[in-house]
Amino acid sequence: MATEVKEGQDIRKIVRTLVQNHGDEKAELIPILQEINREMGYISDEAIKELGERMNLPSSHIYSVATFYRMLSTEPRGRHVIQFCESAPCHVAGGRLVWQRLLRELGLEKGETRQDNKWTLLTTSCLGLCGVGPVMIIDNDIYGNVTPEQVPGILSNYE
Amino acid sequence: MKTTRSMVLVSSDPESLDRGALDVFSTLQKQITKFGLEEEIALSMITDISKHAMSPLVLVYPDAVIYGPVTTDDVPTIVEEHLYKGRVVQEKQISAYDLSGRVAWLSSRKGTMPAENRIVLKNVGQIDPENIDEYIINDGYEGLGTVLKEMTPGETIQVIKDSGLRGRGGAGFPTGLKWQFVSGAKGNKKFVICNADESEPGTFKDRLVLEGDPHAIIEAMSIGAYAVGADEGYVYIRGEYGLAISRMKKAIQQAREYNLLGENIFGTDFSFDIHIHTGAGAYICGEETALIESIEGNRGEPRPRPPYPTTAGLWQKPTLVNNVETLANIPAIIRNGAAWYKSIGTQSSPGTKVYTVLGNVNVTGLIEVPMGITLREVISIYAKGMKGSATFKLAQTGGSSGSIIPASLQDTPMDFDSYDKAGVSLGSGALLICNEDVCVVDLAKVLLNFFRFESCGKCNPCRIGNKRAYETLVNISEGVGTLQDLKDLKMMSDQLYELSNCGLGQTAGSPLKDILAHFRAEVEAHVKLKVCPAGICPMSGQRVYKIF
Amino acid sequence: MIKLTIDGNEIEVQEGTTVLEAAEAAGLYVPTLCHHPQLTPYGGCRLCMVEVEGARTLQPSCTLPATNGMVVKTNTQKVLDARKFVLTLIFSERNHFCMYCQVSDGDCELQNRAYDEGMTHWDLQPNWQPFEVDASHPFMVLDNNRCILCRRCVRACGELVGNYTLGFEERGADSMLVADYNVPLGESSCISCGTCVQICPTGAIIDRQSAYQGKETEVEHNIGVCVECSVGCQRDVLTRDNRLIRIEGVWEAPLNNGLLCDKGRFLPLEDDRPRLLTPLVRKDGNLKAATWDDAINAIAEGLGKGEGLAAIASTRLPIEDLALFKSVFADSLKAELVTTLEEGKATASLAKMAEKLGQSFESNLETLKDTDAVLSLALDLVDEHQVAGFFVKRQLTDGTNLIVADGKGNKLAEKASFKLDLEAGKEGSFLLKLHEAIESETGDEGFVKAAKLLKAAVKPVIVYGQDFAANADDKAVETLVGISESLNASLVGVKGNANSMAASQLGLESPIKTNGYKSAFIMLGDENPSQKLIKQLEDFPFVVALSAYGSQLTGNADVVLPVTMWAEQSGTYLNMDGRLQKAVQSLEAPEGVLTSRETLLKISEALEVETDADWKTRILSRTPTVQIKES
Repeated sequence: MATEVKEGQDIRKIVRTLVQNHGDEKAELIPILQEINREMGYISDEAIKELGERMNLPSSHIYSVATFYRMLSTEPRGRHVIQFCESAPCHVAGGRLVWQRLLRELGLEKGETRQDNKWTLLTTSCLGLCGVGPVMIIDNDIYGNVTPEQVPGILSNYE
Repeated sequence: MKTTRSMVLVSSDPESLDRGALDVFSTLQKQITKFGLEEEIALSMITDISKHAMSPLVLVYPDAVIYGPVTTDDVPTIVEEHLYKGRVVQEKQISAYDLSGRVAWLSSRKGTMPAENRIVLKNVGQIDPENIDEYIINDGYEGLGTVLKEMTPGETIQVIKDSGLRGRGGAGFPTGLKWQFVSGAKGNKKFVICNADESEPGTFKDRLVLEGDPHAIIEAMSIGAYAVGADEGYVYIRGEYGLAISRMKKAIQQAREYNLLGENIFGTDFSFDIHIHTGAGAYICGEETALIESIEGNRGEPRPRPPYPTTAGLWQKPTLVNNVETLANIPAIIRNGAAWYKSIGTQSSPGTKVYTVLGNVNVTGLIEVPMGITLREVISIYAKGMKGSATFKLAQTGGSSGSIIPASLQDTPMDFDSYDKAGVSLGSGALLICNEDVCVVDLAKVLLNFFRFESCGKCNPCRIGNKRAYETLVNISEGVGTLQDLKDLKMMSDQLYELSNCGLGQTAGSPLKDILAHFRAEVEAHVKLKVCPAGICPMSGQRVYKIF
Repeated sequence: MIKLTIDGNEIEVQEGTTVLEAAEAAGLYVPTLCHHPQLTPYGGCRLCMVEVEGARTLQPSCTLPATNGMVVKTNTQKVLDARKFVLTLIFSERNHFCMYCQVSDGDCELQNRAYDEGMTHWDLQPNWQPFEVDASHPFMVLDNNRCILCRRCVRACGELVGNYTLGFEERGADSMLVADYNVPLGESSCISCGTCVQICPTGAIIDRQSAYQGKETEVEHNIGVCVECSVGCQRDVLTRDNRLIRIEGVWEAPLNNGLLCDKGRFLPLEDDRPRLLTPLVRKDGNLKAATWDDAINAIAEGLGKGEGLAAIASTRLPIEDLALFKSVFADSLKAELVTTLEEGKATASLAKMAEKLGQSFESNLETLKDTDAVLSLALDLVDEHQVAGFFVKRQLTDGTNLIVADGKGNKLAEKASFKLDLEAGKEGSFLLKLHEAIESETGDEGFVKAAKLLKAAVKPVIVYGQDFAANADDKAVETLVGISESLNASLVGVKGNANSMAASQLGLESPIKTNGYKSAFIMLGDENPSQKLIKQLEDFPFVVALSAYGSQLTGNADVVLPVTMWAEQSGTYLNMDGRLQKAVQSLEAPEGVLTSRETLLKISEALEVETDADWKTRILSRTPTVQIKES
């Protein structure tokens, strides 16, 4: 997950190119939003406005869709995004204690981004990695069988 | 108590042994002990590895990481980095396609495990999923050829009906009947959708099929499209399943190159093509009408039914929506006939079921077994018993469509009708097996928390009911619950079932119903004695959710 | 036909009827909240659940199609328990404490439903967070604390108005009503039509002016036609103690189905122009308050026998007033100029065509509600005649093509499939080129594209307004009719003011010229005079003005008579597509203020001239551009 907005990227240009490649059918909205999210780290108001014009869709619709799906974000996120699985298999495998440790280490609550923009802490529903629960994903790295003691070490891997 | 969380396998074919596999094995053993991981990691040798160039191989499951060639010098790094710290040792990793498509440990169980009856997982881990030729050599696309050249659409539907196949997405609706509905629906344009938005907690069977045998899905969808008269299909894959998405893309590309997708397939009049649509993180999109809304570019909110997708689905056209596991059965049924399929499983639920076995058992993982096997058999035979010989308390069968199965039902045959009769559900095929260390209030809390966040919010009972039920459970777990709370929970469970718009809401309250029906004493202990028997709940005496 | 049984009653309904509609048709009561007859059934609130024989669970009657042999029960214990549960959940979700809410006491559907079910309390613990109230909008307040997430407003904003400002943020328990991409309502794309206020079942969206001014139990309803433009929407004017409280659209109205625009709903309540309450007569260069008798005498004296008299009336006035105006000034006094402030600009060229053809050639507004291609000529339906614009806008997501031809900035053009340039004054050549393209598919690329689109359409509509009618010569109108014949397209002429077409039928459409007149009689009503008119009147030696409000024009006049404004008078209106509709009086006029009609009668008496009150014959005596029908 690239979470940094690339400097100097003109969001309008990105949107235009995406609409050109995908076409402006409504069915392409979610695929395009996914690409914007990947490119820019989040879907800005400006992106929504431009996309609305290009696809002839109301911005309320785009915003409604963008906030419905968990993989899309309308808020800038931190440099690193932690997704912690809070589904039953991971929970039963000891996820609760890992989660508490994570909250303590980061000083964040669920869904928050730290002031220094380093971390965004999210929870996620089952990732299908239940065999190695508790599971957390930082950016694109998957950590399985995480114990509370491992948490500081794992976090220290990230700048 | 610790549970086995990883399985490490060392290749022991002659070539690997020549190259020092035994030394690698013993070094691994030492290193694992050194880090105190011996209880968490099962180490064994496997023989039937088809890939030799990089041997000896070390396979780590369930991460499904393969290292090779491994020397004794590499072992400390692998153990420390991967097994201890959870970081894959990139330098030693090989062959991306094998990552999880070839579920190595599954192969390893041959001979050491009771026979499984593999239909859905037949090719998974056995063939290179990125090579269409391997699929074809293994009878692939034979079923499609048969229906296109020798059968009418009506005959095709009849075979599926005769097979007794029922949908594996959770509800168990007869597949052939669904096909017949779509076939009989008015309209020239029809669609086939493969529901690959697998998001039930603890379930990853569909992912492995998509990753390990994508052509089976393409073939099955094509057969379905021919039967119902569709010419366009969608595979809706969960966005988080990156590998499955890229494998499926590649498979579709190959099928097009072989003209197994496209115009005039097998030189017949039948034309069919498939698009991939990836989810963007919403459990509810596994519900078929929400999935359709999502493909159309909307919020994934289930539609009112009727009309059903079979008459008015994608863009209001008749649409066949089948789950991955359901589809994966189709080519085999066509190849081997309905009678063959009916001979497996039970009378009312023929065939096999794929389960993901998780939790406090000795061996966790994926199994495909005939319908009608009991939970006790799964635990004792396939999972090799409870970890540490603990007592089995309950199994949770995954997600919204699942149930909490108490020990008293562990001898009930696992098939749609027997479970239905017992008031529980097979769910998505997850079997989260729990010992007595698990608190049912805590478990229900986690499940309701999941529904609370995954409810689309369209209908009141699901949007508000799950939130209220979760808060009530939190209060109980904090030791401030009342007997009235238990009545409320029962009412919420009943009303959610009666009033919700879709399957999610209708079954979201079932954990509440289940714990009150089977574990009432334990729940009441939280309320009356202010004690959590399992010692899990905080029982702080503090109200987290205040009365206004 | 489908036969089903509801609560033991055998009911026969058309195919496609829902169980709720069937029950209602049979006079049975099923409570609803998220349902609204003007909206597509939604099935969100689950209050309308009924028991259906053979169904696994209770079923939502609002979305369930009735089928043959269906047996439905609407009042079993199970159903009643379910209703109470649903209401309990809603009450527990957010701050729904009725006693603090402005819309309780009959205005709140949530409260009403709870009363209906005999609820005195709810069992589940409420647990909610307060949300900030969005008071950024000039006319409305959005209070998410009172929102029950039924989405009636969201659906109305899209399905009915075609504006799509309101939407939903997040999902599940975090769902929240927002505007655009979560901007304050006052900074959003909202066009202040107020449909959301009207459709909100609770107090989540309320309008500023009427909040706390009077509840349902305290107000009077006055249903009549809106006089703000020629669409002729039906509206309900709510008053209390002779005070305007609120204006609402009438859901049952066949034309506007409850819709109004800001001009019809909110702006009349914002009117703060200085009101004239006494006659004024110029003495020694200054306007002085006078009695009615003095003022009428001054008029009689100033107008004399009517030589060199120009009489000009507002087209916002009722037909009765306009007909009397014509009777007095044209028929009896034979004034040199008898016309309206509109000067027939929106109608004259078209009316001439109808006379020439000897029949009507325009269609009614309904054609705009169900069309697959619209060509709009020099008309911005986003700015004017907005409700007609809603009909077009709301279809654009269903594949209806919109072609906008205009030479100036046009907000409707932003939503168009494509645009054509139509320079003012070049209507004739524009239409010729279009006709050519339709006939032979040759010519300019844009024209050919438009022609193809229109030809492919099953129900094309060409809509045009005042600017077009004012500039189009006879030849251009003839080409327009030719085009409509080639395409089998409907022509919809958007007129000007509320009685623009009536004025045309009365023949009040001469242009205003100023030289040589001795006196002017200006019947303004509540209309604002234009700067151009004020300038024109400067040359007149004697000016009489009938006006509800003080303005520069009344300041310059020699005699000013205070007359009623729209709410204080009643009368008939002929809208743009030929509907004769009544406007009703909803307020008592201030003492000493008369209607224009009463004033005219007083003047004719003083001038000793005959009057003829029969307006209907006059209206019908000229071939209209669109058929006139009495409703």
